[in-house]
Amino acid sequence: MSEIDMAVSKPEIMQPYIWLQTPDGAIQQVEQVIAMFCPFICQEVIQKGTGSSKNCAICLPQRVTPTILSLILDYCRFHQVPGRSNKERKSYDEKFMRMDTKQLCELTSAADSLQLKPLVDLTSRTLARVIEGKSPEEIRGIFNLPDDLTEEEKLEPLKNTTADPRIRLLNRLYAKKRKELKERERLKNVEVEEEHVDDRSVDDLLSFINGNDADPKEMKNSKNKKKNRRRKEQQMSSSLKEASELNNKEINGHNIRPQTDGANGVSEASQSNTEDSTFVPREFDDGDIDEEIDPALQEKLDREVEDFARILNSDWPERMQELLSLGQERKAMPFTSNGNSFLRRNA
Amino acid sequence: MGDALGSDLISDLPQSIVESILVRLPIRDAVKTSILSSKWRYKWASITQLVFDEKCVDSCSDRDVVEKSVVKFITRLLFLHQGPIHKFQITISYLQSCPEIDQWILFLSRNDIKELVLELGEGEFFRIPSCLFNCKKLSRLELFRCELDPPLSFKGFLCLRSLNLHQVLISPDAIEGLISNCPLLESLSLSYFDSLALSIRAPNLKYLYLEGEFRDICLDDTPLLVEISVAMYMTDDIAEHFEQSASCNFLKFLGGVPNLERLVGHIYFTKYLSIGNDPGCLPIIYKNLEIIELNQVSFEDMKEILVVLRLITSSPNLKELQISGSSNIPSATDAPDLDFWEKECSSKCRLSHLRVVQLTDMCGVPHEMELIKFLLASSPVLETMSIIPCVYVVESQLKMLTELVKFRRASAKAEIVFVRE
Repeated sequence: MSEIDMAVSKPEIMQPYIWLQTPDGAIQQVEQVIAMFCPFICQEVIQKGTGSSKNCAICLPQRVTPTILSLILDYCRFHQVPGRSNKERKSYDEKFMRMDTKQLCELTSAADSLQLKPLVDLTSRTLARVIEGKSPEEIRGIFNLPDDLTEEEKLEPLKNTTADPRIRLLNRLYAKKRKELKERERLKNVEVEEEHVDDRSVDDLLSFINGNDADPKEMKNSKNKKKNRRRKEQQMSSSLKEASELNNKEINGHNIRPQTDGANGVSEASQSNTEDSTFVPREFDDGDIDEEIDPALQEKLDREVEDFARILNSDWPERMQELLSLGQERKAMPFTSNGNSFLRRNA
Repeated sequence: MGDALGSDLISDLPQSIVESILVRLPIRDAVKTSILSSKWRYKWASITQLVFDEKCVDSCSDRDVVEKSVVKFITRLLFLHQGPIHKFQITISYLQSCPEIDQWILFLSRNDIKELVLELGEGEFFRIPSCLFNCKKLSRLELFRCELDPPLSFKGFLCLRSLNLHQVLISPDAIEGLISNCPLLESLSLSYFDSLALSIRAPNLKYLYLEGEFRDICLDDTPLLVEISVAMYMTDDIAEHFEQSASCNFLKFLGGVPNLERLVGHIYFTKYLSIGNDPGCLPIIYKNLEIIELNQVSFEDMKEILVVLRLITSSPNLKELQISGSSNIPSATDAPDLDFWEKECSSKCRLSHLRVVQLTDMCGVPHEMELIKFLLASSPVLETMSIIPCVYVVESQLKMLTELVKFRRASAKAEIVFVRE
């Protein structure tokens, strides 16, 4: 509708005054040219026809208090005059912005709700200048911000909100392990033993690479320990890891077995077992972390491991027959496993 | 958890205002707001404008160290950023081409980038990865010292309004294709190209800025051009090429821009326009041309003077004229063809809106004086004419002044300001 049409149908529009109501209920009248500088008020007048009289005053948004309103109207009063030069406007703006920070924030908020973009830009610029170059303490002081971040949060790099749960678990486990290691310092024997075991694993791996040179008896002993450790290690990692490890073992086992001839069949198979255990991440070799795992979970994992072992075991009798028929000399490889013989001792 | 003195003033403002404030801070300060309080931890991470300049990391004497820390800073920041990025600007002279920049551009291409400004250091030119051409919403592109190679299947940036290529390696076909495939292109700036022959087809183009050695420019389809600024350098072989060309450069360049409002030429631009056949009385009138600025006009070349004259007489609404001369110290005081002025400039010619004239580097050669005479006689509303003589011709200044005083002035208000150092 053109203004003239509106004037004909609603003569009140042409009145020089507009009525505004602030959130506290007070009503005031403002010159039309000044008030219409605010897009919000403009919209209210044109689309809803309010503001023409005291009874249908325009309700201003919550954030526009009377004090702030008068500031905004001052701004509008100056800027709605078309003839002013850029220099004049700039110098007015500069003077206008001299107020305390609290009022500045309130003004920004109110100008935003009235959709007065030039004023929002002006106040944003001023607030940015207030913040720029200041230390966090100063900024907190100016805006009354609560200092509610922990020291760690302040120092840590910001974390991505989509953190991998497995990484979180790993972090927890590492933290606990660190604690455990400290306690272990008191129990020296155990520590020595662990180191011994570690060397064993390396030896086993080397012997696998170099051929079957290692003393089988030693291997057996180490294997006992390793079996237990391995079991515990499996329980510790996430079920995914466990599944992949066991798959790994199975594949390794199956891959290696057909390739060996009888003499070394069993021993190499056993070595593949060893090798598997050395594939487990080093950090978990200590096997002490499992104590922290929830006992219910531990039981569940135990059961899963046993089930899986049984599946593998069922293959074994036939396989062993095959290998035995092919082979010449066989070394007896006694193994104890977690209740079920993974690889049986062969006579 | 505010203190007893007052409640939190700022954390609950709407995100649009917070963004408006953070965007006006240097990027470092914006990121530092993350340790102000728990509410502020991630407010910075969704700002849509990222501008990186020399100051975004601490400076140090070792250039490599600073470069590495800038790369790390930008990469980390992009990782932590959430949401669309509309503007991404890097203006860092010590940042050389490196593989991380490819990754940044890939990231931006997936985040609705609209304005991209890349101004790297003086080393090897950065080769723009092809993912840039997938940025469908790109509206402003500014590249400095890069290599640009649009893929064959590239159909153009449909939203591109502003293109600025400064020292960019790109084949002439690719540039022409790029320009003509961006239908909304309004502003085009090409600087420091070598011997470029270009035909510009851009139906919405309003602002054209060219600087460099151009062998040939043809404005084929630019009816909406409003502002043209050209600084044309010339090498010897380009000059040779020009001698042989018969087409009229003036019409090729200015023949299709009826809406022109402002024309600025530097160095050899006027010479470029003068090459080719004389267009005679121009078929086109520049109704809106209000400001003409032609620098380094050689007043000893008749053809160049003719170009100036044709422009002036075809612009009925001309308001401001600036001309600077480039004549060497004159060897002879009389020049041929002085009567051409009487032939070409009829007394009917009136520059009825010309108010301000500025003539710089004037040596007092006869043709310069004739031009001044012509302008004074044809400008009824002239207010100021400033004449700044060339610093090398101290002796002729008095002679110039004596002649000036004799000229008839059509405008009673005209003030002649003769600036002597």
